[in-house]
Amino acid sequence: MAIDLDLAPRRPQAPAPTPITVTRDYSTPDKVFRWGVQASGLGVFLLLVAIGSFLAWSGWPAFKVAGWGFFTHSGPVLVGSHANFGVLASLTGTVEVAFVAMVFGAPVAICTALFLSEYAPLRSRRSLIAMIDLAAAIPSIIFGLWAFFELQPNVVGLSTWMSRHLAFIPFFKVTSPPLNASIFIAGLVVGIMIVPIVASICREVFSLAPAGEREAALALGASRWQMIRTVVLPFGRGGMIGAVMLGLGRALEETIAVTIILAGSYKVTGQILQHGGSTISQLIAINFNQSGGALGVHDLLLCGFVLFLLTLVINLAASAIVNRSRSGAGVDL
Amino acid sequence: MIADGTTQSAPEGVLVTTTSASTQSAPVHEPRPPGPPPSGEFPESPAPPRPRRLPSPIRPGAFGAEDATILVGAAVSALCLVWIVFYQLTSLSGGLGFLICWYLAFLGLTWLGTAQVIERQVATDRVVAVVVVSAAALVIGIIIFIVAWVTYKAVPTIHWAALFTKDQKSFQLAESNALDHVGILHAVIGTFEQVLLAVAIGVPFAVATAIYLNEVRGFGSRTVRTVVTAMSGTPSVVAGVFIYSMLILTHVISYSGFAASLALVVILLPSVTRVVEEVLRVVPSGLREASQALGAPEWRTVWSVVLPTARSGVVTAVLLGIARIVGETAPLLFTAVGSQVLNLNPLSGDQGALPLVIWSDVRQPNAVLIDLAFQAAFVLMAFVLILFVLARIFSRPKGKGGKGRARPEEDDLMARFFVPIPIEESESR
Amino acid sequence: MTTTLPTAPTGPGHPQPFTGTRTLGEPGQIDAEGVCAWFGGRLVLETVNLTMEQSKVTALIGPSGCGKSTFLRILNRMHEVVPGAQLAGSVKLDGVDIYGPGQRAMETRRHIGMVFQKPNPFPAMTIAENVLAGLKFSRSTPGDKDDLVQEALTKAGLWNEVKDRLGELGGALSGGQQQRLCIARSLAVRPRVLLMDEPCSALDPTSTLRIEQTIKEIADEVTVVIVTHNMQQAQRVSDYCAFFLAAENQPGRVIEAGRTEMIFGEPTDQRTFDYVNGQFG
Repeated sequence: MAIDLDLAPRRPQAPAPTPITVTRDYSTPDKVFRWGVQASGLGVFLLLVAIGSFLAWSGWPAFKVAGWGFFTHSGPVLVGSHANFGVLASLTGTVEVAFVAMVFGAPVAICTALFLSEYAPLRSRRSLIAMIDLAAAIPSIIFGLWAFFELQPNVVGLSTWMSRHLAFIPFFKVTSPPLNASIFIAGLVVGIMIVPIVASICREVFSLAPAGEREAALALGASRWQMIRTVVLPFGRGGMIGAVMLGLGRALEETIAVTIILAGSYKVTGQILQHGGSTISQLIAINFNQSGGALGVHDLLLCGFVLFLLTLVINLAASAIVNRSRSGAGVDL
Repeated sequence: MIADGTTQSAPEGVLVTTTSASTQSAPVHEPRPPGPPPSGEFPESPAPPRPRRLPSPIRPGAFGAEDATILVGAAVSALCLVWIVFYQLTSLSGGLGFLICWYLAFLGLTWLGTAQVIERQVATDRVVAVVVVSAAALVIGIIIFIVAWVTYKAVPTIHWAALFTKDQKSFQLAESNALDHVGILHAVIGTFEQVLLAVAIGVPFAVATAIYLNEVRGFGSRTVRTVVTAMSGTPSVVAGVFIYSMLILTHVISYSGFAASLALVVILLPSVTRVVEEVLRVVPSGLREASQALGAPEWRTVWSVVLPTARSGVVTAVLLGIARIVGETAPLLFTAVGSQVLNLNPLSGDQGALPLVIWSDVRQPNAVLIDLAFQAAFVLMAFVLILFVLARIFSRPKGKGGKGRARPEEDDLMARFFVPIPIEESESR
Repeated sequence: MTTTLPTAPTGPGHPQPFTGTRTLGEPGQIDAEGVCAWFGGRLVLETVNLTMEQSKVTALIGPSGCGKSTFLRILNRMHEVVPGAQLAGSVKLDGVDIYGPGQRAMETRRHIGMVFQKPNPFPAMTIAENVLAGLKFSRSTPGDKDDLVQEALTKAGLWNEVKDRLGELGGALSGGQQQRLCIARSLAVRPRVLLMDEPCSALDPTSTLRIEQTIKEIADEVTVVIVTHNMQQAQRVSDYCAFFLAAENQPGRVIEAGRTEMIFGEPTDQRTFDYVNGQFG
């Protein structure tokens, strides 16, 4: 560890002594050690750069063919109609699935976090937290399996009812009837999957809310909810936003659970209740498996690059928000 | 406080509770109101009786009969209301929609009932409490349901003798479709090799990076910290296509278990780095200084002092790391591809894996294969659960105070693994 | 003061819950009988019987860890907020047991306010919003908010310093001002009793003096119970004193209680004498 001695002059009027710079002379094993760990740090950096650049490089041929139409066209990878390939339908599908997931998952996650930090009895709190963490550990393919066999048959009834009585909302309109394998169902599964992520961060942020202000609110005659609304939620607002964004990053990338549910029709649609729709990760997973060869692979790698950039930006922004809120920069006291 | 001998009878009579003070019309601001001293002469509190006869604790704010009545009443009337209004008039189909409508009606009626009987402030508080508790119950219920459901679907059909000793070759050859002729040996071996390789490559790399971030703090560690944070959000499917585009498309290596391991390393690396970094941070800096004061070189300090102190945390990180990657499916699709038969060599040829068995078999129009997929799911889930419990045992602080309040860092450690929580910029030591 | 409704008859003869009777603003009398407290199953306070006189300042003194603060928190049901905390006994506000059936903690806390050791204004609220925070909780609407803010801040001795910046955030004030803001916030709901848990221990001497003045001024309108470690402060502000003590590994008890002059002048217990003369603790 570098020692940095700063010998400030005691009396300003005295002639300033020359500061001594203490440099540390590392022995050879120490040099090797430092070189080694720095190399691994550099390696992590290079890995990220490599992911971005290799995907960009491999996707470039596809972009050369498709041009900006890649973002404005919709179409699956098809032999022959190569130039028509575009990611638009999958991009909108990704956003729709993530949107449904957030609408359902974020409130549930925030409520769960409030339960864990404010309502759960102290004795069972740790086991309950472990249960929620366990949900994050369950592989997504098992979630997908469960959703396909158990959730989907039940949700179809709900979808039918919604399409009948809530059809005045454009999203809930149904024109082609089968209501399974829909974006709505995929979104619900992903919503369940993001709950532990959002809940964990929110719980941590909520538990950092200052005890003094909590007690102040209670002593003034606030109910528990009023105390939460006055103290805990304002304090945790930044962390909550960051947590929801991290959950969004997770929702955008989810592959297997979505692929099991979604039917995969490459048409831009706003009707989330009916059969069809695709996401970027689903597009990659399904078509990669089938094509195997070199044709269309560049398109998929370009899709991968788009997904990579999308999640990278969202995750970095979310991390910055969560970090700022955790360090308490939002509240100066 | 040592004096005793008095019996527990004194307290009641001793304190003169005057009512005269409370009937005074206006409080007088004088040194001392005339008249009899209102309870002024507080005599000495009775000496501690021994044996003491203490009253049992009261439970203020407990959930009373009135509260229960309101909740039950709201639940029942909501049921009736939803039955009449929704089920009869709007032909609601499916249990789920009914449940949701009932729940909303229940919330509304609870609020109305409580606001009538008690007051609005309490009503809002109670409705929020019901919402919060039911959200958590929903999440926990779903988790328990999933675990129980997979177990229920898998266990009755398992042929234990075949499951871990056979692959799916016999099914492929159409010799017999019965479950005692097929198993998931190929997948278990494949997953084992892939995960082992990934851990062997990824963990030293991750620990070295964590040491770089926390111990050496060399040039550029801020950037690397950000990069680690950014990488923990890398989509798993992207990790797969990255290895594909870099190594397989360029014919450096072919489809193999090893390629899968490399893809898993991309996922494993940031998570393990983050958790190990967190663990290293709680190692008291006094230990490092003590070691350095003894003249130990830096690498010795890290190797002999810091890492052993953080050992249980590092073990936790590795266990959780395995749990994290063992169920990854998407990256394997482009690397290991999957296989029906046993392939012991991870370095060449398609290789099976547990998630891939589930992925491919569950979509087959064949009851035997679907059963096998569920069995693979059960094995995978059981493995993750065991790792999870082991990790919890390892992360528990040893020695003093097994019970009591949980250390915050312990719970956060578990959460941090699966959750891309960014690592904090710690202040300089 | 605009919302004061007819005073309900109080006293032992009329043990009706004060829920719903808006008799805020009248100083109240607290009788604690047989109060015991536990933390996580460990007895920390044993059988305290104490009466806190109407319109008087009662000081609770004693060394650290003797249960003064715990007792104070029992008086407005803040004790039960702490996980693992239990209690027994009864605390009567003007003859009504605040732990009796049908009594709600939030209602009680509105009648018995509390000021904490560390100033804790809500940092995200302005000064005026902080003063009105308690009223927002109970959804009661004062006739004129500005008047109420001015009145509460004046009583707390803060009005002249902040009257031009009521819109600033509460966290922007100095420590002593924050504490007086907290007092104003508690007074704005017109409590009958104000509990103060070492309100000056985090403040400088000038601010301390200012708060002590405030305490004397508000004692007309609200019964004050104050926990303090400062003997001089107890002598300066209080009318009555109760001395708490906990022997090693023993729960806290009241050793002696009575008029302040008596406790400090002619205590009957040797331990009280030792403590008030600074000979132990």
